[in-house]
Amino acid sequence: MRGATLARWAVLALILAIVFVPMYWIVATSFKTGRQILLSESVYVPRPFTVDNYVYLFEESRFALWIRNSAITAIASTLLSLAIGTAGAYSLTRLSFPGRRTFGAIVLITYLVPPDRTFIGLGYTNSLGTLILAYPTFLVPFVTWLLMGFFRSIPRELEEAALVDGATRLQAMVRVVLPLAAPGLLAAGLFCFTLSWNEFLYALIFIADDSLKTLPVGLSEFVVSDFAFWGQLMAAAALASLPVIVVYIYLHKYMVQGLTAGAVKG
Amino acid sequence: MNVLTDRHRERLLGYALIAPVAMFLGALVAYPFLSAIYLSLTEKTVGYPAHFVGLRNYEALLESGRFRIVAWNSAAFTVGSIVVKLVIGMAMALALHNVVRGNQFIRGILLLPWVIPTVVIALTWKWLMDLFRGLINVALIDVGAVRSGVHWLGDPTLAMASVITANVWRGFPFFGVSFLAAMQTVPQELYDAAAVDGAGSWEKFWRITLPSIKGVVAVVTLLSTIVTLNDFNIVYIMTRGGPGAATHIFATYSYELGIMSQRWGLAMAASMASLPLVALLIVAVVRYLHREEE
Repeated sequence: MRGATLARWAVLALILAIVFVPMYWIVATSFKTGRQILLSESVYVPRPFTVDNYVYLFEESRFALWIRNSAITAIASTLLSLAIGTAGAYSLTRLSFPGRRTFGAIVLITYLVPPDRTFIGLGYTNSLGTLILAYPTFLVPFVTWLLMGFFRSIPRELEEAALVDGATRLQAMVRVVLPLAAPGLLAAGLFCFTLSWNEFLYALIFIADDSLKTLPVGLSEFVVSDFAFWGQLMAAAALASLPVIVVYIYLHKYMVQGLTAGAVKG
Repeated sequence: MNVLTDRHRERLLGYALIAPVAMFLGALVAYPFLSAIYLSLTEKTVGYPAHFVGLRNYEALLESGRFRIVAWNSAAFTVGSIVVKLVIGMAMALALHNVVRGNQFIRGILLLPWVIPTVVIALTWKWLMDLFRGLINVALIDVGAVRSGVHWLGDPTLAMASVITANVWRGFPFFGVSFLAAMQTVPQELYDAAAVDGAGSWEKFWRITLPSIKGVVAVVTLLSTIVTLNDFNIVYIMTRGGPGAATHIFATYSYELGIMSQRWGLAMAASMASLPLVALLIVAVVRYLHREEE
């Protein structure tokens, strides 16, 4: 018994170390001077440490611009996907009409289709608008699928009571169901934001203009003349991860329940 | 109020609310997909309109040695990643199962790789594996394990293992958390009964835990296979498919053919190569999900 407990904690410690070390390496590198990186000085802990890399990002690189582009794209595609997906999910769970099951199956299948390369054939468009329309191709099926689960968990009786009181179906949806599904809507929205914020391939394919690049693409092309650019790059990596980590702190309850249950049951 | 009109109204609203989803998926998923299939049957050179060539692009791919390497690499990348994720994910779930104190917190930390942008992960591993200054080589030299830096990304044999490592780091937490959630639904009575029969922990795992969570294991494995088979970011950023074509996989190869060489017909044909397999996997997931629902 004692041996088993020890083995359990040894495994946990090892896995935690595996997860922790690369994240520590991002942060540690981001506080190193170019000289420390170039000469492999104070490898494990930057001493002395510097914030020059962060200053550089905002004063001498297009980092702020990339954040702006990523934020615009992520927020717009999230709102668009939420609007379309909420309506669709409500329709598929609450209203009966011929073809409903087929629509449901199509949504599930498109949710499973990987974000694919067929878009490569379309070539550059150089517009954030393209991304705002392209991201919902994988966000809408996801939102619809996730919200169908939430809508199913809301008792029909509440809605029927509103209908008896003379509300129309649409009013019942807006006034009764949506407020109850608010945590689900928020979770779906935050998931969408994270997926859009992290998206790389479409942004790489569609945007050639430097001033319209999103954060992941900007990062991937972040090569400055200085040989020890890793300091600046890791500072950018840390900042790029920050928004999704903040979102995640709120979301992780849903991630564990919602996504695992979501992946299995919807 | 007339019952029939009510039902008609409901139908109408149903169609109206699903219409945006349908139009969206039609215009932005189905259309590009169909046009990609068409493009894969054409030859397009810059300055001339595309002309139909039938299956010639597919034949050219099948005859190309490079494509065969790409197909083999994609299989190695996918199978290697999934197997390691299964093992580490299961170890993580078993280690966390029944841990009361700190469970939420530890699980929260362990899921972080899964939310960090993949581009950041790929860049970080590239830097960790840097020949002269990367943490891994510096630490290995410091503890005396090696004399000089290991060519993690420059050696054709090691490069595939290296990109798999980055992909596993990103993906195993999802496996672990999903398995853990499934384990927590297994009734304690089953374990108690097995304990009465004198079963050890190993036996309990094979006789009770694994059979009880096999549905979740199957779905998570299938979902991850679909995504890994189509992965682009990690390989593109860490090696660009190199050295040589040692880590080139379907997505990086289509990108090279299309964006780099402007051979759109071939690029789309290469894109379609994994499609039959992806379709099979999707059918498998859908069937599993329906079974779970019943």
